[in-house]
Amino acid sequence: MKFLDQPPRFLFFTGKGGVGKTSIACATAIQLAESGKRVLLVSTDPASNVGQVFGVTIGNHITPIPAVPRLAALEIDPQAAAQAYRDHIVGPVRGVLPEAVVQGIEEQLSGACTTEIAAFDEFTSLLTDSALLTDYDHIIFDTAPTGHTIRMLQLPGAWSNFLEEGKGDASCLGPLAGLEKQREQYQAAVDALTDGSMTRLILVARAQQSTLREVARTREELAAIGLTHQYLVINGILPSIESTNDPLATAIHERELAALHAIPEALSALPRDYVTLKPFNMVGLDALRHLLADTPVGVKIVVEVPIELDEPRLSDLMDEIAADGHGLVMLMGKGGVGKTTLAAAIAVELARRGLPVHLTTSDPAAHLTETLEGALDNLTVSRIDPHTETERYRQHVLETKGAKLDTQGRALLEEDLRSPCTEEIAVFQGFSRIIREAGKKFVVMDTAPTGHTLMLIDATGAYHREAARQMGSNSISHYTTPMMQLQDSKQTKVLIVTLAETTPVLEAASLQADLRRAKIEPWAWIINNSVAATSAISPLLCSRAANELREINTVANQHAQRYAVVPLLKDEPVGVARLLELAAG
Amino acid sequence: MKSIQVFDPAMCCNTGVCGVDVDQQLINFAADVDWAKQNGAQIQRFNLAQQPMDFANNPVVKEFLERSGQEALPLILVDGEFALAGRYPNRVELARWTGITLPINEIKPAVGSGSKCC
Repeated sequence: MKFLDQPPRFLFFTGKGGVGKTSIACATAIQLAESGKRVLLVSTDPASNVGQVFGVTIGNHITPIPAVPRLAALEIDPQAAAQAYRDHIVGPVRGVLPEAVVQGIEEQLSGACTTEIAAFDEFTSLLTDSALLTDYDHIIFDTAPTGHTIRMLQLPGAWSNFLEEGKGDASCLGPLAGLEKQREQYQAAVDALTDGSMTRLILVARAQQSTLREVARTREELAAIGLTHQYLVINGILPSIESTNDPLATAIHERELAALHAIPEALSALPRDYVTLKPFNMVGLDALRHLLADTPVGVKIVVEVPIELDEPRLSDLMDEIAADGHGLVMLMGKGGVGKTTLAAAIAVELARRGLPVHLTTSDPAAHLTETLEGALDNLTVSRIDPHTETERYRQHVLETKGAKLDTQGRALLEEDLRSPCTEEIAVFQGFSRIIREAGKKFVVMDTAPTGHTLMLIDATGAYHREAARQMGSNSISHYTTPMMQLQDSKQTKVLIVTLAETTPVLEAASLQADLRRAKIEPWAWIINNSVAATSAISPLLCSRAANELREINTVANQHAQRYAVVPLLKDEPVGVARLLELAAG
Repeated sequence: MKSIQVFDPAMCCNTGVCGVDVDQQLINFAADVDWAKQNGAQIQRFNLAQQPMDFANNPVVKEFLERSGQEALPLILVDGEFALAGRYPNRVELARWTGITLPINEIKPAVGSGSKCC
């Protein structure tokens, strides 16, 4: 593995949920420890299974791993870090200020920025604590901070204000304002991150076009702020030997080759490693030792009788969706779970039934929807690209509201506008125009704002309603906010999309919790790309299928009020015919 | 010179750009505060989401919150006494309270409207 060649002190693995970065980080830690290095493994995965992997309880303190000499591990839960931060701010005024005020403060501190910064705050001590640097040769992180976080910490203007004024007057330092650490410590952490002799960043991806595109963006964003020492690991490659006698395995193999052939230019120059798909779960030392090895797996795969899956299919949900004749259908979930494909399939099926449908997508590639344009009588298609939308929003704010600012003020405003919250808001503004159409027809969307954004938007809505009431306007009774529309299950159906794998299911569950906080109840879950729902015969795919059953059970019994399982398809579902097939299950 | 304390509603930052709606008043007021400080004024801002203790420890502010709620913020105190609430002061008001004297054409009052940030 190239990324293991002369590794520096800090190794960061980054990539989206489900690509296997925690497994690769664990395998790396074992390999380095067994080669005689003293290693600390740090996990920030909210679904951290590092403890499970090694069979020890870890938690928020450094814990030696008995089975691997020289290896210790630590789990940081970003949500718990954010909660600790909120308690630190809110705790002292609870019971002192009115309850509504306290709740307002907590909501303000529930955003993505707070979580990210609170977690990074815990990182910085690991990057700068001299005792740790003496005790360990390598510190391995199964995640990396985003470009936004690092830029925020680098911003000299913000910091000088922050220091001169004490507190409060710095611009969008936001959550940082309440943190304990000193400027020097953040500075030292950023210096360590951007120094190639100290830090290596390893991008983890799958051989899928959409995943590779997203990784290419991460690569560029982090390179732009100085993290230039990057490596690429393509995980979960299906070995070509599996494709003998199994048409599904053959199709997957060919699709992966095609995706790698068309790898984005930004990634093609990086040192690259491949890790093959393994038939077993990445639990236990033996499994992890084999992950990075090219040698054939010593485990004999027991081919069971092909799994007969008797789970609800997408077609079972379609009748209920179609019954109302109109409404908003939102597909929600993390990137790469197949929201766009499923949105297109649902839209095409509704149109086939003669119902008017507007399909709108935020997928920048949107090759699916391009082939649909004009293909069906009742179907219209539109596209909202988050990057275009966010850029337009930033330019608009800078040109209008930032017009009179001086250079420094403008630079601060510009940086504030790069906050992850901004993108969500910009995209939502694009969508809110289209949402209104759902009274007359179906509107199917492949994206949706988080519960947090909705609650902030609703606070604005409540303010407008109050203003209208005070002015004695007659139109109040007709005024509905987007929030009210989304909360009403007669008008809106939220479908949560996930994969039958541990991390994606946990991520989907936390998405559902966030929506429930905003009093939006997801209508159904869709488990996409399920191998268990196919009739695969390749031994490797069969053993993957067996592993899916536990996750499907969890969704069925713990999370979803109704659900459907969609099989992994041989061909990419592009075009009307294949999408209809998908919807028919 | 008199000192001004501004008690802001809960928001992520003083420009409010990471809120759901960018409020021109907040951007202008941030600039006005900067202007007043350069002219020697003492102005402190407190964000409810970041420094709630400063709200709780000030009897005037605490009572205001209990009576009128956080929707009625911002609250502006001059030398600790109630001066303005529900909107941000403009440059003319800032100048008057702090005794800044400047040619009138250099004092451009803040314009625009909108809801509160974040």
